[in-house]
Amino acid sequence: MLLHKKKTEEHQETVAGADAPVCREEARRAFKLDGEKGAKAVFFIAAAFSVVAVFAIVIYLLVASIPALSEIGFFNFLFKNQWLPKFYEDGSRPASATFGILPMILSSIVVTLGAVVVGGLLGVCTAVFLVYYCPKKFKGAYTQVINLLAGIPSVVYGFFGLVVIVPMLEGMFGVTVGKGVLAAVLVLSLMIMPTIASLTKNSLEAVPNEYYEGSLALGNTKAQAIFKVCLPAAKRGILSALILGVGRAVGETMAVAMVVGNTTNNFPTGLFMPVATMTTQIVKEMGYATGLRKEALISIGFILLIFVLIINLILTLVKREKMGGNALFGRKLRTEHAEDGTQKPKSQYEFRRGGIVQEVLKYICMVLAAVVIVALVAMVAFIIVKGVPNLTADFLFTAGSSTDVTMPQLLVTTLLIIFMTLIIALPLGIAAAIYLNEYSKKGSKLVKVIRLFIDTLAGIPSIVFGLFGNIFFVAICGGRYSIIAGSLTMVLIVLPTIVRSTEESLREVADSMREGSLALGASKVRTIFKIVLPSALSGIVTSIILSIGRIVGESAALIYTAGAVIGMPDGYGSSGMTFAVAMYKLTQTGRAGDMEKAYAIAVVLLVIVVALNLLVTFLEKRIKRKTLGTTGTGTEKKHAHAKQEAEEENTEALEPLAEPAPAEGAKA
Amino acid sequence: MKEKKIKESKEEKEEKKEKGLFARKQVPPFRFENGVAINVKDMDLFYGDFKALKKINMAMPEKKITAMIGPSGCGKSTLLKSLNRMNDLVEGCRVEGEITIGGENIYEKTADLARLRKNVGMVFQRPNPFAMSVYDNIAYGPRTFGIKKKSVLDEIVERSLRNAAMWEELKDRLGKSALGLSGGQQQRLCIARALAVEPQILLMDEPTSALDPISTGKIEELCEELRDKITIVIVTHNMQQAARISDKTAFFLLGEMVEMGDTDQVFSAPQDKRTEDYITGRFG
Repeated sequence: MLLHKKKTEEHQETVAGADAPVCREEARRAFKLDGEKGAKAVFFIAAAFSVVAVFAIVIYLLVASIPALSEIGFFNFLFKNQWLPKFYEDGSRPASATFGILPMILSSIVVTLGAVVVGGLLGVCTAVFLVYYCPKKFKGAYTQVINLLAGIPSVVYGFFGLVVIVPMLEGMFGVTVGKGVLAAVLVLSLMIMPTIASLTKNSLEAVPNEYYEGSLALGNTKAQAIFKVCLPAAKRGILSALILGVGRAVGETMAVAMVVGNTTNNFPTGLFMPVATMTTQIVKEMGYATGLRKEALISIGFILLIFVLIINLILTLVKREKMGGNALFGRKLRTEHAEDGTQKPKSQYEFRRGGIVQEVLKYICMVLAAVVIVALVAMVAFIIVKGVPNLTADFLFTAGSSTDVTMPQLLVTTLLIIFMTLIIALPLGIAAAIYLNEYSKKGSKLVKVIRLFIDTLAGIPSIVFGLFGNIFFVAICGGRYSIIAGSLTMVLIVLPTIVRSTEESLREVADSMREGSLALGASKVRTIFKIVLPSALSGIVTSIILSIGRIVGESAALIYTAGAVIGMPDGYGSSGMTFAVAMYKLTQTGRAGDMEKAYAIAVVLLVIVVALNLLVTFLEKRIKRKTLGTTGTGTEKKHAHAKQEAEEENTEALEPLAEPAPAEGAKA
Repeated sequence: MKEKKIKESKEEKEEKKEKGLFARKQVPPFRFENGVAINVKDMDLFYGDFKALKKINMAMPEKKITAMIGPSGCGKSTLLKSLNRMNDLVEGCRVEGEITIGGENIYEKTADLARLRKNVGMVFQRPNPFAMSVYDNIAYGPRTFGIKKKSVLDEIVERSLRNAAMWEELKDRLGKSALGLSGGQQQRLCIARALAVEPQILLMDEPTSALDPISTGKIEELCEELRDKITIVIVTHNMQQAARISDKTAFFLLGEMVEMGDTDQVFSAPQDKRTEDYITGRFG
């Protein structure tokens, strides 16, 4: 006590004494240092959030599915071929009730593989056409269309399958029920095709031009060069695109649920066999399941999650140079030696003209690319033609009732979710990106782990987020479906997009800018907020728009978190339907007039997707121009640039003729 | 009476602002002694295990231009960067020995980086204007150090541009983006930006290597004009440039400082055989 008093006295003395300024100075310096450290800590926590989220999801689902798994038995659950969840009224279950999910697992695998084979073939061929054969005039437009199609929500693809592909299959093959394995494969193929095409295109464009030239210089035809040199050079990128396609297909819920037939316990033995996959089983039964049945559904979600985590792991291994490299694609040298060990003399080789196979492949690519684009454009056109007449004033502008779905209800719900999701996810994502790009050391293990988890988070299917949201966010938000629970679930879904997109644009900011700011004595935090972030604005804006697109199109994650109640929501506490959820619901009721409303919503969704896409293109162009410093004199600069390019082309063309030029220069 | 009171209270407020915990402390300049601005003593520098600089000893005089010359990879840029600790950004970089500015060891743990870099400005090899207007580029430094008043900033911007001899060219384009300027203008803008925080020392890392001869000439003129106002340390590949503008020249080879002396003496009567070989163009 006394000691303490003495100390405080001393302290006061120093404060009051001549040393006071020094003391305060030090305090200030400590505070300032802490400010820097504090900022770093905040950024780190944001980055670590994704790690926590992935762990939380896995562990939560595991814990929630342990009771069911232990009661049913793990192997009974996985390998019994009957799902017969019967219950007596008191909640106990008869001996005949079984919870086997083998048919669902097999159906999921078959549908996924089929979709990846068909969609992968279409996607890769489209990309080859786009990169190497597409006339320059159409290239930009074609790329835009592919990007646009990649952004169309899966419910719209499912809806197209339901109203066009299924009846078409029924007509073509004379079957009574068109829903089934084949319909699901086709819908999923269409859905994953744009993604695979655009990723393949990127990796084909990354193949150095020298490869192509080198191949031509050896006497190859264009087709040979493309299929024997360029395509193999991009195989790693193509493989990861295909694996990404597997991930999307296995996790897709709503589109599949609309066309797969949803008949539990059927094995996928035929093209037109109606089956149920893991995801569709969850979404079909989750609405009314209770007790053990609900826990068993969560277990299905857990198994699905394990599937996806394995796929993610494979993807990581393929992407990593060291592992994938020669172990996956290597080939042993097989030199043919004559019996005495000497090589054949040269005259024995025969050189023949080849390349017929590649020529055929070329035409296959062209045809498939044409088919794909026609099919997809037809899909959009069909929906618009059928949907626009259904956009009645009544549907568009009345507030509706608790029995009538109308546009304002959906719009309000969707906007509420967009707002809340972005308010939470944006600061979190940007802070995480700042940590990953500005504070981490190159090659740091911790950062690699965080990146891996962010990628994992991006690969988890939305139905799994839906399940997690259902048992976690709904529980902490008052125990019933609410818009806030849906928003929190969406935060987890859009977070990886925001982190990745922001990080990428942070990486593009030149280091010399950071050096310039630091060399003026600015602190790291000031440098980040004043110099780095403003330069990365375009990436952040893009990530916002992408996130909005994701939220607008999401259905599986929202149907059991935000719910599907008809009526105008009166706040974040109440339940409400977004566009996509409403569209799915309306196709399931069978009530007169509901299908027409689904058409109308499909049109609205398409319009939103197109608008967002155009917005991204427009903003990126504008921001780029602004950062290039051509405000005001934009057109002039553009002209100058174009002129310069033209000149460069000219000089290239003239190069063989321009040999005497250097001599002249020397004289001058 | 009332007016006086109001005035007093205003002054009090400002005083409080200056004294509070959250107040920005003043950034004191370094006090040079005996006309020596920077003193490097037994300094070694490592990149990981690689020793990039060996036992450097040199003193750079106040308000003079010191040039550092030598072939590529001899460590002269590394040394320059270590003078305002920009090499902190390089991973695995470690400094042993002492660098003192005005008697203060800048590698001490308690050293204030912001103060160091405010007083020891830097101009880089490639012009690096920020993606903002000319005005904001120059005002960035002063704003960093708490100058918010528009009138003061206006004054600083004009004076810095005048000091960099580009006020006439740019006075009508202050609001335009700095990225629209030509390479030479950008580099001089970067010099103006560095001058805006009134540094005592200006480090220049091959400031003209990315520029055409006319822009190079303008920057050399600028160095001449700044000679009596601040201390300049310049790294250059161009020996004529060193001979033209510098007072002192130091020659580096393979991480060692071979020789340092008055520029005339180094170029006309070098003490070391290696210096002579380099200057006469026998290698490098």
